[in-house]
Amino acid sequence: MILLTFRDLQHRAMRFLVVIVLGALIFALLFVMTGMVEQFNREPVDTVNGFGASTWVLPEGISGPFTASSTIAAGTALEVVGERATPAIIARSSLRHNETTDAVILVGHVQGGLGAPRTSEGRPAQSPGEIVLDDSTGAEVGDPVAVAGGSFTVVGLSRKTTLLAGMPVVFMTLADAQELVFQTDQVVSVVLVEGEPTSLPAGVVAVPSAVVAADTLEPLEGAVASVDLVRALLWMVAAVIIGAVVYLSALERVRDFAVLKAMGVSNKSLIGSLALQAVLVALGAVAIGAVIQLMLAPAFPLEVTVPDRAFVQIPIFAVLMALIAGAAGMTRVARADPASAFAGAGG
Amino acid sequence: MTSLRVDDLVVEYVHNGYAVRPLDGLSFEADPGELVVLLGPSGSGKTTLLSCLGGILTPTSGAIRLGVADVTKLSGQELERYRRSQVGFVFQAFNLIPSLTARENVAMPLLLTGHSRAAAFSRADELLAQVGLTDRASHRPSKLSGGQQQRVAVARGLGQNPHLLLADEPTANLDFIQVETIIRLLRDLREQGRIIVISTHDARLLPIADRVIQMAPDQHPSEAPTHQLTLAAGDHIFEQGDRSDLVYTIDEGVVDIIRVLADGSEEPLNQLRPGQYFGELGAFLGFPRSASARAGTAVVLTAYSPRVFRERVLPESASGDRQDQ
Repeated sequence: MILLTFRDLQHRAMRFLVVIVLGALIFALLFVMTGMVEQFNREPVDTVNGFGASTWVLPEGISGPFTASSTIAAGTALEVVGERATPAIIARSSLRHNETTDAVILVGHVQGGLGAPRTSEGRPAQSPGEIVLDDSTGAEVGDPVAVAGGSFTVVGLSRKTTLLAGMPVVFMTLADAQELVFQTDQVVSVVLVEGEPTSLPAGVVAVPSAVVAADTLEPLEGAVASVDLVRALLWMVAAVIIGAVVYLSALERVRDFAVLKAMGVSNKSLIGSLALQAVLVALGAVAIGAVIQLMLAPAFPLEVTVPDRAFVQIPIFAVLMALIAGAAGMTRVARADPASAFAGAGG
Repeated sequence: MTSLRVDDLVVEYVHNGYAVRPLDGLSFEADPGELVVLLGPSGSGKTTLLSCLGGILTPTSGAIRLGVADVTKLSGQELERYRRSQVGFVFQAFNLIPSLTARENVAMPLLLTGHSRAAAFSRADELLAQVGLTDRASHRPSKLSGGQQQRVAVARGLGQNPHLLLADEPTANLDFIQVETIIRLLRDLREQGRIIVISTHDARLLPIADRVIQMAPDQHPSEAPTHQLTLAAGDHIFEQGDRSDLVYTIDEGVVDIIRVLADGSEEPLNQLRPGQYFGELGAFLGFPRSASARAGTAVVLTAYSPRVFRERVLPESASGDRQDQ
């Protein structure tokens, strides 16, 4: 069976090569899109967890600190009792650096408190006019930048601190953030708490970190659904290409199959040979696609994080897809009449 | 010893609504070591008979016995087993798998029926040596001559060392040197005790045949004298399936040409009038009547032998006058 399959692949090598290359491009896109969806899902969890808080205290009626404007009176914030309860500012703003302006999420934190970034380079902001930027901004430590009209000096860089599909988070002192966002020190956005707060004043609610992360993903749901749809379409295109080449192969080999059936070879063996061919084409395309995606992913403006499980799941789905797509060809093999092995049957 | 016995074999199928019977009560026997030639023109049922003998086609009635096995009673996996172990096939168009070498072509049926790789290739080497193609073992069919391809096909047919080897037109499309090689090979195989059944219309095979089965009745064209017939309305002139012997011209009256369908119903094909003729093609070619002719009114016909019709009537007739039956 294996010999028959390999020899036919060799015999029709150019055709199968074209199909494998086409399939590889499709699977490369599938890997990249899987990586994008993974990044969409992973980004809010990583960034929100990076704040170090397990509970976020928000004003009542606010869906989340990153999706709605949130204000709590400083006095109310002080009434929140819990382990390391720390007020913070969160707001959308803009960053000007190297003549370009980008949307950012501004975070004001208490020095050493929850919400302060873990820097990959430099240190957290400690004094007025200091700022830490996500490294995706391209800034370096020491660069001057402007945020919402205020001038800052980059003192540190953080990694994997983006939200809303790649929007960088910038960190500064609570006082600077209050001044920039509210022009007063009597208002904060949230209170971050490690563990559950033991006492909450009226007008605020405690929201678990996981809920905050999920809420942050909500604006991207449409994008995630669109990518999922494109992924489904890519699977269908891959199935059609592989199904078509397997069916064509079966059609061209009907006489061969009829001859072998006439000689007592069972349908099972012949269908197995064709199924193996479909699976090999699919796996070949997946393997090459996995290499192509390494070259393709850096070209995407968003970070693409292909999860390890994709390198198991996609080949398994590809094998199943190849078997389903090849069913038409396999049915043709099953229907091959051994009598047709005789030229001019019925003579 | 495994002998072959065919009893009263009938194959009938429905084609375009009417019944066709390529085999009608065929019987013969063959002993081990006999070479049987099925001789007949295209359409005479040679391939149909080979298909039945090979367990590929189930006959409508009758029996085929190879040794103790009643082939006509086998089904499903039993038939697969019969084809695998008892019968070898050699096809007219060689039907080698183009992607495989000669050696792989011979070994493939063995590999696909559970033989080990070593055993299958060892047997393939042995058979290729037997047909004199050891030096061509690694060539693909496209690099082999017609005769060499046919020898590979014979080697493949012998893979399971079958009792019965069925060969469909094994010398078709081969030049005389290649034909000679194939004939010598078949003769050698017969001497190994196999029954070899060959369908052919190649008379060069007849001298080596131990038994010749004429698949079409020996046609001696009718030399009946020209005569006139008078029939009443509804009388049958001839029936579908009858032996074709005479050609008729219509002198008076109307003749209905009718095809009898498989379910017994009738399909009118044509209505012929004085000056027209019918029944000439079957009589010329020796085919059975493909439709029935019946007097639609009282008719007067003239019946001719094919030879007289061709010499006297045909040159004078307009082409639109005929009705082939």
